[in-house]
Amino acid sequence: MATAAKKGPRSWAVQLVLNALLWVVPVALVWLVATPVYNRFLLGSAENLVHLTESPNVTNLLRKDDHFAYVQRRDFPPSKSLVHSFRVTDVHFHLLMLGVLFLAVPRVPWRRRLENLGWAVLITVFFDIFLIFFYVKFAYSTQLGSWSLAHYGAFSRNFWGLGKHLLDLPFKFSLPFLLWAGFYYRDLVTQIRPPATPAG
Amino acid sequence: MASKQSTPKPSPAAGSFWQRNRRELTFLILFVVLLGGGFTLISVNWVNDHVIEPFTAGIARVSGGVLHAIGQNVTMAGTVIRNPRFAVNIRNGCNGVEAMLIFLAAVLAFPASWKSRLTGLVLGILAIQVINLVRVVALFLTGVYFPKIFDTSHTVIWQTIVILFGVLLWIFWANRFATPPPAREPAT
Repeated sequence: MATAAKKGPRSWAVQLVLNALLWVVPVALVWLVATPVYNRFLLGSAENLVHLTESPNVTNLLRKDDHFAYVQRRDFPPSKSLVHSFRVTDVHFHLLMLGVLFLAVPRVPWRRRLENLGWAVLITVFFDIFLIFFYVKFAYSTQLGSWSLAHYGAFSRNFWGLGKHLLDLPFKFSLPFLLWAGFYYRDLVTQIRPPATPAG
Repeated sequence: MASKQSTPKPSPAAGSFWQRNRRELTFLILFVVLLGGGFTLISVNWVNDHVIEPFTAGIARVSGGVLHAIGQNVTMAGTVIRNPRFAVNIRNGCNGVEAMLIFLAAVLAFPASWKSRLTGLVLGILAIQVINLVRVVALFLTGVYFPKIFDTSHTVIWQTIVILFGVLLWIFWANRFATPPPAREPAT
């Protein structure tokens, strides 16, 4: 019996790790193909979000190439209107991790797997738009020297600075895991192996 | 209130959202608080200067040693590794601290014995640093021999590998070594 148990099916965690390794390349290919289109969508959406917080609308988020973007202020002199640049692709590479983690979960029906992935991607899209919004506010409040000091108080500068730091590092990196845990925590817990008991 | 005591106890499925998902929500809230706290802590200048920078310089020294051992003529200065063709400055984001903090927050937030947690943390952090060492060495070699793909390799490929490694490590730990949940009482 003990031998049979040892040679039984792979554990849930091992199966998940193996599935994850198998999914990395297909997910990366889809992400690479979708990146230019998604970058355009993100810039357009984030620009609209920024416009909700300013009057008149002076911010443009301009695409530099497939990966980079400029923040432009139309109320600045043309030679100084490009106030900041950032790599849009860096905003959303966590989609790679998200896809791999959600598709790798073993012993879950495909329908549920894809449904959960869909919700997780939707939440991530909103997060990405929000993160670019923070990039812009961070640039305005801390990166434009005397203009930033004149238009943003100490609290605002710290708020946008710390907010951008926390969203851009810990929460961007851990969002796929957070969402995965939100959807699959129960599956993980029910698959925990009981501690081995001594024979006899 | 007391007069309503005689009503039948609702099943877990009929409870509030919190009651139905208490375990998941407790884990997620604890994880977010620990993660946010950890990252806020390392963003304090004193902690950065006295803990993170020396730690990162240590990583640079070890990585430089490995590069030297495989025939790269490198020199190290603080967190910078250079040879005549290329130089990298190891900074936050490349020192594995992010993956370590995510792993640490997840291990501490998950219900497990302190012995399991301690074992998981020691082995997990060690494994993350080994993977990070591979990343730094591989990135340096990429910069020397394939500079065109350095940016993508730096920000996308290796970040994904290191964080994904940390997450999969945590799933493996939670599945194998964490305390199983108590059996549910049968519904009455």
